[in-house]
Amino acid sequence: MAGLELLSDQGYRLDGRKATELRKVQARMGVFAQADGSAYIEQGNTKALAVVYGPHEVRGSRSRTLNDRAVINCQYSMATFSTSERKRRPHGDRKSTEMSLHLKQTFEAAVLTNLYPRSQIDIYVKILQSDGGNYSAGVNAATLAVIDAGIPLRDYVCACTAGFVDETPLTDLCHAEESGGGTSLAMALLPRGGHIALLQMDARLHQDHLETLMEAAMTACKSISKVLDQVVRQHLQEVSALTGE
Amino acid sequence: MLKSKTFVKKTRSGGVMKIVREHYLRDDIWCGTEGCVECKQEETVLQKDVHIESNLCSFPHYLLPDTNVVLSQIDILEDPLIKNVIILQTVLQEVRHRSAPIYKRLKDILHDKEKHFYTFTNEHHRDTFIEREPGESANDRNDRAIRVSAKWYSDHLKKALSEEEIQIVLLTNDRGNKEKAVESGLLTYKCEEYVKSLIANPELVDRLALTDDDKNEITSSKVLFPEHLPLSRIQAGIKSGAFQQGTFRASRDNYLEATVFVHGEGDQSTEVLIQGLQNLNRSVHQDLVAVEILPQNQWVAPSSVVLQDEGPKEDDATEEVEAEKTLKSAAGGAESRKPTGRVVGIIKRNWRPFCGMLFLSQIKEATRHLFTPADRRIPRIRVETRQAATLAGQRIMVAIDGWPKHSRYPNGHFVRSLGCAGDKDTETEVLLLEHDVPHQDFSQTVLSFLPKMPWSITEEDMAVREDLRHLTVCSVDPPGCTDIDDALHCRDLPNGNQEVGVHIADVSHFIRPGNALDQEAANRGTTVYLTGKRIDMVPELLSSNLCSLRCNVERLAFSCIWEINDKAEIVKTRFTKSVINSKASLTYAEAQMRIDDTNMNDEITKSLRGLNSLAKILKRQRIEKGALTLSSPEVRFHIDSETHDPIDLQTKELKETNSMVEEFMLLANISVAQKIYDEFSECALLRKHPAPPPSNYDILNTAAKSKDLVIHTDTAKALADSLDAAQVDGFPYFNTLLRILATRCMMQAVYFCSGMDSDFHHYGLASPIYTHFTSPIRRYSDIIVHRLLAVAIGADSTYPDLMDKHKQSALCNNLNYRHKMAQYAQRASVAFHTQLFFKNRGIMNEEGFILFVRKNAIIILIPKFGMEGTVFFENKNKPSPKLTFNQEATTLTVEGHTFNMFDKVKVTISLDASNIQHQKIRMSLVEPVILGVSVAPSEDNQPKAKKAKLDG
Amino acid sequence: MTSNKSAVWKTVSMAADMRLPTIRKQVSLSASLSALDGKDLVVPGDVITSDTGFMRGHGTYMDEEKLTASVAGEVERVNKLICVRPLKTRFNGEVGDVVVGRVTEVQQKRWKVETNSRLDSVLLLSSVNLPGGELRRRSAEDELAMRDYLLEGDLISAEVQSVFSDGALSLHTRSLKYGKLGQGVLIQLSPSLIKRQKTHFHNLPCGTSIILGNNGFVWLYPTPGHQDEEAGGYYTSLEPVSLSDREVISRLRNCLLALSAHKVMLYDTSVLYCYESSMPHQIKDILKPEVMEEVVMVTRQKLMEQEG
Repeated sequence: MAGLELLSDQGYRLDGRKATELRKVQARMGVFAQADGSAYIEQGNTKALAVVYGPHEVRGSRSRTLNDRAVINCQYSMATFSTSERKRRPHGDRKSTEMSLHLKQTFEAAVLTNLYPRSQIDIYVKILQSDGGNYSAGVNAATLAVIDAGIPLRDYVCACTAGFVDETPLTDLCHAEESGGGTSLAMALLPRGGHIALLQMDARLHQDHLETLMEAAMTACKSISKVLDQVVRQHLQEVSALTGE
Repeated sequence: MLKSKTFVKKTRSGGVMKIVREHYLRDDIWCGTEGCVECKQEETVLQKDVHIESNLCSFPHYLLPDTNVVLSQIDILEDPLIKNVIILQTVLQEVRHRSAPIYKRLKDILHDKEKHFYTFTNEHHRDTFIEREPGESANDRNDRAIRVSAKWYSDHLKKALSEEEIQIVLLTNDRGNKEKAVESGLLTYKCEEYVKSLIANPELVDRLALTDDDKNEITSSKVLFPEHLPLSRIQAGIKSGAFQQGTFRASRDNYLEATVFVHGEGDQSTEVLIQGLQNLNRSVHQDLVAVEILPQNQWVAPSSVVLQDEGPKEDDATEEVEAEKTLKSAAGGAESRKPTGRVVGIIKRNWRPFCGMLFLSQIKEATRHLFTPADRRIPRIRVETRQAATLAGQRIMVAIDGWPKHSRYPNGHFVRSLGCAGDKDTETEVLLLEHDVPHQDFSQTVLSFLPKMPWSITEEDMAVREDLRHLTVCSVDPPGCTDIDDALHCRDLPNGNQEVGVHIADVSHFIRPGNALDQEAANRGTTVYLTGKRIDMVPELLSSNLCSLRCNVERLAFSCIWEINDKAEIVKTRFTKSVINSKASLTYAEAQMRIDDTNMNDEITKSLRGLNSLAKILKRQRIEKGALTLSSPEVRFHIDSETHDPIDLQTKELKETNSMVEEFMLLANISVAQKIYDEFSECALLRKHPAPPPSNYDILNTAAKSKDLVIHTDTAKALADSLDAAQVDGFPYFNTLLRILATRCMMQAVYFCSGMDSDFHHYGLASPIYTHFTSPIRRYSDIIVHRLLAVAIGADSTYPDLMDKHKQSALCNNLNYRHKMAQYAQRASVAFHTQLFFKNRGIMNEEGFILFVRKNAIIILIPKFGMEGTVFFENKNKPSPKLTFNQEATTLTVEGHTFNMFDKVKVTISLDASNIQHQKIRMSLVEPVILGVSVAPSEDNQPKAKKAKLDG
Repeated sequence: MTSNKSAVWKTVSMAADMRLPTIRKQVSLSASLSALDGKDLVVPGDVITSDTGFMRGHGTYMDEEKLTASVAGEVERVNKLICVRPLKTRFNGEVGDVVVGRVTEVQQKRWKVETNSRLDSVLLLSSVNLPGGELRRRSAEDELAMRDYLLEGDLISAEVQSVFSDGALSLHTRSLKYGKLGQGVLIQLSPSLIKRQKTHFHNLPCGTSIILGNNGFVWLYPTPGHQDEEAGGYYTSLEPVSLSDREVISRLRNCLLALSAHKVMLYDTSVLYCYESSMPHQIKDILKPEVMEEVVMVTRQKLMEQEG
């Protein structure tokens, strides 16, 4: 019959969260030995893996080399088993190409690329399980991976989605909420300065609503950054405790 | 932030898809009880002092109904007596899934602060969430969830309430559930038991819906109807194409016949004919049903017979058979056969509470009676009540509970009484309810958004508006009009052109988007004009005062001003918010007099003449483009000022000034439509009038053919021209009759959102684009158009819903529905007053014309009263006269006299009050004189033999 | 959402060693908190100081007059200079560092060598010892014969000669200990785990030699029987390596991986202790997490005993 009720009168969402609550976030850094940096993140049922190589000599076409800063090369892909219907090709489709571009733009805003002229940084993001907010999970995982690789960043890049239901902004949308129609806004934020690295929204939204929605997304990004910060500090302490003696 | 790691896997069948969803369990969901020491809630819903006296539970308690109780006994829950009820999320979700209307009603109760209904989000509570066990059905799981929550509540209340003991009473009608609940120590009653035990309100029992157990007692064991197929088989059938899904539409005239409107893709929609009780198979008007198309050799033609389910006979099987025989014999030739089918199952019931009257059982002490709905498309309903004696002669509302297969009639229960039948207020109430017209007084919240009196135009208002107070603006309306929403002016410009202004009341200035006033107006959609009563869309302060452009007061307006040259071509158009001061409020007649009176030469008259001459040119141009002039007889009652009874009846007369005003309104609407569409191509609210499919013109064609005329219906222009040419010498009314018929061929004009449709054409007005701008006081669509236009000229800002095409579209649907219902209500009101009129007048002789010819009746239009009625030639009590019906020529020969369409006849008209539920206007034939059929013109008031009757 | 597919395991003739995932153990911080004392750990975006009197070093940047960390790691102060040393990073070569690298390109008068640093390092033709004497002039013939010495894919050991302005390294192999590497095993580890020492070339008592490149590349090879100085470092022995040597090399490789996984600093002693501690286990078992943990623990104890 009628579609899903995304927000009940009591203020609970489909999965029992309140409008501004995030899903459970779990993350780990340094999951691969061979890569320069790597990280794994779970935001609810969305699971993403990010791997960073570099900075290294520009491979492939030399012509991409920039003399004043590093080239950032991103590839976003989704595992064939990540969605409820099996995907034909994990990357290279329009959506993934677009996502790759978004990631590239996001990290060009955050990484201090000018420190590494003529070199290249590769960021590979793979979505292992998709349940809404793929881009945000990808960005958050990539941030951790970049930090793990010891590549200098201005600040964390934290991403989160926000949507709009019945005049109420919802944060960190799950798949059911994303596909339930309505607006979905993805934001990548450098939380400390409040700089927006990327803001993306496809649907129509009235300008009166934009501010509240951005506000909600920003708050969510800041909450995410707290979680990421914890993960990084934990990792930092563990590793330096081991090598410390 | 409290989150749990527990996940629940929900699987949806259909393919091998597995859906994993997160499910967070929380520990911050509170019980909602006043005085609870454990929960850290900010506000409470359930009261600490519970007073509801019951024989069963003498202690304070909260009710906790299960899903089926809510679904079937919503009428009980709505009663003000029932308070302090816990609705579990499980229950709420199930109700939402199973019945949209009941869900809405439940939500309304939950929002009502007085009712103290609390929604407990048990599915996300740490202690009350349960997982479905292997082998457990979804229903059993939900029942268990309800029991677990009830248990949690009773334990919780024991701990958390310090002084008072409040217990939880679980209401369930399910025997298994009840047993298990009692086992786990819960206080459980059947809904019926509980309601019967209530001391304060014995009549509440009547509102109980009948449960399964009772149904068996009532009905005979004989199975009357075929079993309905289960939903799974229906779905499979629809998928394979064996069944069709469609909306069931009962016939108004024949209770044994109905059509099912099967929605197809695009123009593929078809109608399936259903005949006979067995095939109708317990469907009720508006149900969503699955039909099986019968083999072609069993197809039948829709009968032209008018049949009514008379008399409340319990044992009427024989009669039915006879009736069905009549049906079959009446079936026409093979060429008129239509796809015929039978209902195999009901996909979704669309029951609502029905208005009607109780038909008392002959047995005096009986508590079971038949209820006859006012709407003839709804079958009689069997109800159980102990207040039969009081309810007799009253209009009451009844809800259907179910229709078992061995019952001739559906079972229902009493909801509420509306008042004495025949009473003007009651009848008005009935027709408003039947047509779903919101007519309650405006609530305090709504009224709070009205401007504070005394109101005056402020400096700020003046600053942003154009001052047009110096213009000679006047309004022209029907007499007695208090909600004047348009005014006009016309003046010569130095360059020889004329400036014409249409000034519309600026309602959107007072009704700001989103507030309660706006929401109420959006819901009402339109002002409903009944005879002698007006149901306002906006409160009276606005409709008859602040927004009404009365003369000699300063009013805010939204003006559309054109510069028009002498060929009536628009040179320039502009829109502005303005302040005007109308110089005169005229009636059509007054305006006409001024124009015609050559002695009058004041500013107002000159302005009117200018407008009139321009309007004539505009009208001519419009007709040249192919606009239709159609006709429908409109009646006007002269109402006695004291008794409010109609004392005279006449068709409305149209003057030149009517069309003058209309012409400029059309012009304004078209100009505005263009402007808002240019500005907002995605979300402009427009009005379109689709061209009717050729088959719609069949009646018109056959009618014209009977007078050897040809009507071209290929284009609007051709239709208009051939209608103009269709004249019969010595029969001046013929053309009007033809136009009345043409009107019935037309489609409904509808509102739509420009982003959702591509066809904007308005057929009747021959305009490529059209909207409604000129009556914001009485139509909500105009308010939206005002807002759009205001944004377009930079006078106002947008708001989100205005720019959302889906929301606009939903709004359009509501407006279309309200408009349609308002029209029906209006007609019903006229019909009712016609009856009143004839009741007072006794029997009258009148001339009329035959509008349609049916197999056993003719339908007659009385031009004088603009009403039509049916003269039957068949009667149960008498041998039928010899009838021969010619389908092709549409003639009916009765005892040697042939009735053609448009024949002039004489009839007597009287009120048949024998059935108080359906009072009828009875028409009997006087001329031509046919032996044994016609009656003598009568001066006295003796009731005639039931030869013929008519329905108003 | 996931589509779960029942996995069908193919039976492979060789039994695969499978295990279920175990819950990751949290490193008990309280136990090793002492190690953290006096350490100033920062994450990107952390303000280190808003005092303007300091100099901005690696891993920091100025954000609105504030000295801010750009990497996650430990703050190091040298007088007025503040740096943040990240936990893990690419190799930042300094003059004199020993590196192991792989030739990626042969260009005019130079080779490009991948040394796990931000840009490929350069080995100039003039910085290598060519057969026939150190001071021989480089002729056009030598340029043509460059591929005879080093090809793409060859591994070399070298020393950082200088650092270019863009951070790229210039290498030299003008010592007999440097040059092309023959038979052996390369292990790529994090450069931050290599302890700086006087020498990075060790002949271990177990009959194997190791080069612990500062860039995190570690080379294990059988200790050459005789120093073949004539070859100038560009001769590769193709003689088969005995099984026992190969076993020792394999064991050492796994030990190095174990140490690296537990972030133990690598130098001759730690490698040797680890090798000894691993003796009770089969070579392939060393990589099993629980064995790895045990071996590393024993190694740590030995190291502490030795230090203390």
